[in-house]
Amino acid sequence: MATSFKQIEENLKNEARKLLEEGKVSLVLAYGRGYDEDHPVPFVARVVADVENMVFNEYCTANMARYLVRYPRGTKMAIAVKPADSRAVVQLIQEDKIKREDVILLGIPVIGMKNSKTGEVIDSKTTCGMYNPVLYDVLLGEEIHGQTVVSPYDVLAEYEAMDKDARFAFWKKEFDKCIRCYACRKACPMCYCDPCFIDQNKPKWGDKSPQPHGNLMYHLTRFHHLAGRCIDCGECSRACPVDIPLYLFHKKVAKECEEMFGQAAGKSIQDKPVLVNFRVDDSDKILE
Amino acid sequence: MSFEPKILGIACNWCTYTGADLAGTTRLQYPQNTRVVRVMCSSRINPSFIFRAFQLGADGVLVGGCHPGDCHYNTGNLYARRRLAVTKKILEFSGMEPGRFRVEWISASEGNKFAEVVREFTEQIRNLGPQTKFKIEK
Repeated sequence: MATSFKQIEENLKNEARKLLEEGKVSLVLAYGRGYDEDHPVPFVARVVADVENMVFNEYCTANMARYLVRYPRGTKMAIAVKPADSRAVVQLIQEDKIKREDVILLGIPVIGMKNSKTGEVIDSKTTCGMYNPVLYDVLLGEEIHGQTVVSPYDVLAEYEAMDKDARFAFWKKEFDKCIRCYACRKACPMCYCDPCFIDQNKPKWGDKSPQPHGNLMYHLTRFHHLAGRCIDCGECSRACPVDIPLYLFHKKVAKECEEMFGQAAGKSIQDKPVLVNFRVDDSDKILE
Repeated sequence: MSFEPKILGIACNWCTYTGADLAGTTRLQYPQNTRVVRVMCSSRINPSFIFRAFQLGADGVLVGGCHPGDCHYNTGNLYARRRLAVTKKILEFSGMEPGRFRVEWISASEGNKFAEVVREFTEQIRNLGPQTKFKIEK
């Protein structure tokens, strides 16, 4: 039986209050109230009084791992992590963006999160479909077991079966919608480059205005940069104002990386990201 | 007028480029459709080079590097192998014909192989026809 959202919120508040009072952390990354109950916003609690403003409900989908890299190295932080968020933290530790001892993970097992834009329940179609965090220091609810495990890559079958011209037409239609607001980049916990390749002028990789060719360059390169690093939280697609199904491409690249290199992103802090690693016996078949 | 493919060849300085040189000095005949760009190592190749080449009108991209284990920098091509494999998958899923991008390991002594690969690849691109999917329309 999963712990109720109300109970998790209560546990989260208690834990955050304790950590701030003891001075173990200088800030707690969690969720706060937005303009109404259904639209919570990212929230940073720095003093004990802030804790009262925290919320946790089924619409708290934002990946708070995105905010870890914003603070100077060595800042002691606590963060509320859902399953995908915990993978993002693991991946950031692998990439040495944060230190394991600097961050306290408040793990939240979740089931039945909802997209605040559409009200739909979020499942393995758009995310990694996990129920329990892979890494945590404190668990704020009971672990969820006994759910049917669906492969997060099942949703790809339809698109892999498409003819390549049809698939190109599909992606062209989707990418042409892009208004280049960079919400996907802002929402992504793994997109921390400063400057982003698309903001560079020398070399200028792609057009910055929302033109089809610049959009294609931006998205394809971004998929490449996230290869073997995307932890499949699906936040890019939920942040997208024009509903481009970015999660599909990320899932496809993640699937191929897992098949080729035998390692999924953000599962263990001992791993190395697949593209900054190699094995002498990697097969040449992967290039065919 | 018949279609003449425009191919970008990216060759590593130590093996494939020297191999191409050998093909030239031994006067091997191969099609002149490939424009070769020299880079110091196959791992120097940013995947965006390949996307950009297609956008700027290349019909095919051929990447050449040292045989795995023979890299001048010991491990460069082992990183490149993983990276370019991902590039290939991305091109494929975006709807590009997978045959338009090819990676070959050609050593400095394999002038024959270089000529053979270029001949074969040019023929393959000729059969695929002009690349219009990524090309920026003027």
